[in-house]
Amino acid sequence: MDALAGLATGFGVILTPGNLYYCLLGSLIGTLVGVLPGVGPLAALALLMPMTFVLTPVAGMAMLASIFYGAMYGGSTTSILVNIPGEAASVVTCLDGHQLARQGRAGAALGIAALGSFFAGTLSLIALTLFAPALAAVAIRFGPPENFALMVLGLVCTLYMISGSTAKGVLMIALGFLAAAVGIDVVNGKERFTFDSIQLTAGIELLAVVIGLFGVSEILANVESQARSTLVANRIRGLWPTREDWRVSWRPILRGSGLGFLLGIVPGGGPVTASFMSYALERRIATQPERFGHGAMEGVAGPESANNAAVGGSMIPLLSLGIPGNAVTALLLGSLVIHGIQPGPLFMTQRPDLFWGVVASMYVGNVFLLLLNLPLVGIWVQLLRVPYRILFPLVLLLSVVGTYSANKNLFDLWVMLGFGIAGYLLRKLEYDLAPFVISFVLAPLLEQSLRQSLVMSPDGALILAQRPVTAGLLVVALVLAALMFRRPVRLGDN
Amino acid sequence: MAERALNCFWILLGIAAAIHAHGLGMFGPSGPESGLFPLIAGLLIAATGIYLLVGKTATTNPAWPRGPALWRVLGVVAGLTLLAGATQYVGFAVASAITMLVLLKSVERAGWIESLAITLAAVTVVMGLFGHLLGMPLPRGPWGW
Amino acid sequence: MKRMSLLAALGASLIAGAIALPVAAQGTDTKAVLAKLKPKDFPSQPIEFTVVYPAGGGMDVTARLLAKYVEKVSGERIVVNNRTGGAGMVGHAYLATQAKPDGYTVGIIANLVWGDAMLRAQGKWSYTDLEPVGYINSDALTWIGQTDGALKGRSLKDVLQIARDKPSTLRVAIVPGSMWEYLVEQLETASGGKFLRVPFQGGGPGITALVGGNVDIAQGFLAEYRGHLEAGKVAPIAVAAGARLVNQKDVATFNEVLGASDYVWNVIRFAVTPKGTPADRKAYLGAIMKAAMQDPELIEEYRKAGAFFDATLAGSASIATDLDKYATRERDFYQKSGRLK
Repeated sequence: MDALAGLATGFGVILTPGNLYYCLLGSLIGTLVGVLPGVGPLAALALLMPMTFVLTPVAGMAMLASIFYGAMYGGSTTSILVNIPGEAASVVTCLDGHQLARQGRAGAALGIAALGSFFAGTLSLIALTLFAPALAAVAIRFGPPENFALMVLGLVCTLYMISGSTAKGVLMIALGFLAAAVGIDVVNGKERFTFDSIQLTAGIELLAVVIGLFGVSEILANVESQARSTLVANRIRGLWPTREDWRVSWRPILRGSGLGFLLGIVPGGGPVTASFMSYALERRIATQPERFGHGAMEGVAGPESANNAAVGGSMIPLLSLGIPGNAVTALLLGSLVIHGIQPGPLFMTQRPDLFWGVVASMYVGNVFLLLLNLPLVGIWVQLLRVPYRILFPLVLLLSVVGTYSANKNLFDLWVMLGFGIAGYLLRKLEYDLAPFVISFVLAPLLEQSLRQSLVMSPDGALILAQRPVTAGLLVVALVLAALMFRRPVRLGDN
Repeated sequence: MAERALNCFWILLGIAAAIHAHGLGMFGPSGPESGLFPLIAGLLIAATGIYLLVGKTATTNPAWPRGPALWRVLGVVAGLTLLAGATQYVGFAVASAITMLVLLKSVERAGWIESLAITLAAVTVVMGLFGHLLGMPLPRGPWGW
Repeated sequence: MKRMSLLAALGASLIAGAIALPVAAQGTDTKAVLAKLKPKDFPSQPIEFTVVYPAGGGMDVTARLLAKYVEKVSGERIVVNNRTGGAGMVGHAYLATQAKPDGYTVGIIANLVWGDAMLRAQGKWSYTDLEPVGYINSDALTWIGQTDGALKGRSLKDVLQIARDKPSTLRVAIVPGSMWEYLVEQLETASGGKFLRVPFQGGGPGITALVGGNVDIAQGFLAEYRGHLEAGKVAPIAVAAGARLVNQKDVATFNEVLGASDYVWNVIRFAVTPKGTPADRKAYLGAIMKAAMQDPELIEEYRKAGAFFDATLAGSASIATDLDKYATRERDFYQKSGRLK
């Protein structure tokens, strides 16, 4: 009951016109940066952080947090409408979301994405409210061996994501591993595949890869077939999800919420991993997996719920221990430090006003975002009628600025262009690009955590069997992999 | 044809990567060294490349762009190359305006007035959004903007 | 000799402190001095503070606090820009080779730039391409352990004894290719013990691993572990500073425990401009930073964040010369340890 009393305190703190205003402002900005291709929550938070220095800590945190989860709401919009991910956690939403839009069902997809995000966000907040300290205590014990097992599980899930030729999918996964190796090996500081270039030493930027593979290549494909003057030639059928949409979506939303929340708490997870794994899960358990990639509503509902739930999850180690699990939460931590607050294990007891104020603000923010996004559905759908020749130069320009915003490094534009051309050619040859991205994200963590585990273990590889969570996750991964090869493997084209 | 060329490329890439990775060291005293994972990835790429090359996989026959469609694709690539290359010297505002004009004229074959209007609008929106609203320092030209 | 310099340093810090307060109190005087130094045509647009590490980290927080107070004392607009990648490599190279030397780009960097320049720049740039304009603050690398478990209440001597008796059992979190690793290496060479060096991508993740029981010793800065310290989860073992820190008087230094003088691994944060920046602009930038650094509120903010002020550098007449002494010390270590020929 302490939690409920605390939450009441939190609402007392947050329900003032001033604090509500900043929460609403953050929700608006978050939706905007989510919608803009390329500009992710990280760049937006870094840019807007100075604005919050003049605010009270609780107003500043409420605003920054709402930008973070607001971006998860907005990210699906661009994916569904123009087949370009608004940010990396919405890559998989393109796969089925845009197909739905092509079938004239953009409104339904946007609606499911918004409502799924709301339910997932709220569910993860309830879990955060009730179990934050206990979950944090578990999360902190999550060390390199556990991370390794989780990454193996993620990689096995990736196998389930491959659509079309299995051989080509495996090749893309291997290529993702190779691309991720470029740069400084974090385990020993050695340079790999850098060819004496300072730029390559830094490795390849994920955002540039995503925008190149999915944004630039999509634009190239579209300008080639100029037949369509607008994105959706079909008539737009209905703005809202139907009863049938709900029937297929509610389970994926619940599963996505749980999966995303757990992946948000643990160090190696986060919104990107959560959305990919949710998609793989939905496709694995679907009765008709062949519907995926051709406009399956579950393929939107699951991942979009998962990335929002991951935000709630990632706030747990931050708020209860002062430990940031990813770059965005690290930034939130930094903004607290600038306010002269150092969150740690005592944060909850020393500053209950702030802890519960931020939690309460997230409940409020989710409601704001739902109220904001539902009416926007109608407006976004109209965007599909804008002639493509006006839309594409603007999207291209925004992609360029968004890519630049990540590191302020012009080299990233060349990376984006290179991956754009490669993506265009590979898509022509029926290569599935999503496995490349997820393997690119997972590979460094997988390699690093395995090598860390072996260094810290006096018994070598036995450490993977000695730790129960590690062993459990690895067994699950093995079973999943075995299930995959039980059915006839479709190598080559099918 | 293109498919075969690509498969050959995969094989070469995979082998080259594996050779480079081998030079980075395979195993150290406490487990894998820097080279092991890239080596595996490289070998896997080469192996799937061989499989795709000699295996009985139905080759896809992609419709490559030709004529005006090819020019439109090349136009976008040229525009982005220009933008990435010129920004450092003339600043983002000028580089993106030139790129937009090139794109609209070459790819879309729009009229001058329409092109200029769209360019002006797009550059203003982007500069306003990032330069002012978000306060992001975009690369500047020698004239200070 | 050592005692002498320590006394001198102490004196300098007292003097610096004594000067700091009156100057800040006489704000109008500062304003007049700054107005006199201000070049006619500079600045006509916002000044960019370039940070080569991600937003939210220790370096970023330092720069943003500085920006706030520089704006306050000078009225100039400051924009903090994070140019990230490769653990600072990309940003350092940008500052040294690409940034325009027009005074509008100021790098807020740390001494980690020397390692990049000496070991990884491949001769493409050198740290002399960056000219220091002002010292900001320092943080000392501290060894910390858990308050319960195997190392409960152990001193540095005990820890080194364990590393000798049971080599390769104690797990220490390091960041490869930087001072986190060099300190462990120094200790191993000197004591004959052996640690398991578990690599992490930064100091923070290593401390998280300590709290989670995945390593036995972590190394970090006060700001990074203060939360866990206050909660009684971790305790400092020793600090790699030249003298005990004012904000942690009860923590022994490596030097005093081991009777040595070369266990000094600090992060020194300072501001630089690209080589070739006009002298008058550089002087003005130096002056507004110095004025901001004398604001007691900023000093308090930095203290609260866990930083300390190196008396030699804070009271330095020529910051470039004094920083160069530290850089030379680092170069010696690289040469002695065979990293640099």
